[in-house]
Amino acid sequence: MELVSLFIGLTFVNNVVLSKFYAVCPLLGVSKKPKNALNMGYAVTFVIVIASIVTHILYHFVLVPLEITYLDLITFILVIASLVQFVEMFLKKTSPEIYKSMGVYLPLITTNCAVLGVALDNISANYNLIEATVAGLAVSVGFTIVIYLFATIRERLEIANVPESFKGTPIALITAGIMACALAGIAGLV
Amino acid sequence: MNISAIVALAVIGAALGIVLGIANKYLVVEEDNRITEVNAMLPGANCGGCGFPGCSGFAAALVEGEAKKVSGCVVSNQETREKIVTYLNETPGPDGNTVKVTI
Repeated sequence: MELVSLFIGLTFVNNVVLSKFYAVCPLLGVSKKPKNALNMGYAVTFVIVIASIVTHILYHFVLVPLEITYLDLITFILVIASLVQFVEMFLKKTSPEIYKSMGVYLPLITTNCAVLGVALDNISANYNLIEATVAGLAVSVGFTIVIYLFATIRERLEIANVPESFKGTPIALITAGIMACALAGIAGLV
Repeated sequence: MNISAIVALAVIGAALGIVLGIANKYLVVEEDNRITEVNAMLPGANCGGCGFPGCSGFAAALVEGEAKKVSGCVVSNQETREKIVTYLNETPGPDGNTVKVTI
């Protein structure tokens, strides 16, 4: 039951994108087409879930015993960069089309602050391994939902009558802001 | 304490590197290396006289069977053309078949 409320809390109430404002770069960069947005969501989900598990193990079984927890940032980045490299190779091999459609935003998952943010939040919240995994999954599901919804709204905005000076990124930023307002409505849920 | 930090980071880095190296072996994208070979044999003028985008485009067209005559490359001399024809007629690709081209 605790895990369920942790999941709901991190997916919707404390959504990484709309309440913590992590990962806004891919949110704006890969949300032109809903399909690309979903692919981005899957890639990020894979990276975040595996990264939460690996960083948790590394932190508690390597960094803490050796008393070198001040190295957490650089260790986590190493893990994340390797995972992203792996995803890149995997996509290049299995579906070159997705690989091409994601372009530079695929390697940029390395610098996606949601990934590092989850790893660090897991440590500071003192989660155990299962909680850390669930937290990683919840955050990435939240990210995928938001980027997909955002992409569908942006697709609709393409044909909307937007004032000249608001076309493109400005209206996208306003949309993200309104989405964040809407999400704040369920702030007290969990 | 500093030593343990250096060692730990080096070990973690090496372990991740090994994992990536193994993954790279299984996930390597096989490219037809005949294209690079033929490209090296072509004059490299990139003049576009063959109707393909540059020498690498012509090399890909030859290997993939889109172009049948090496003389489509107007800059190449007789010697180069014969070399490419024998190379392509004798070297099988990843699927085991050779490409039939003429001068």
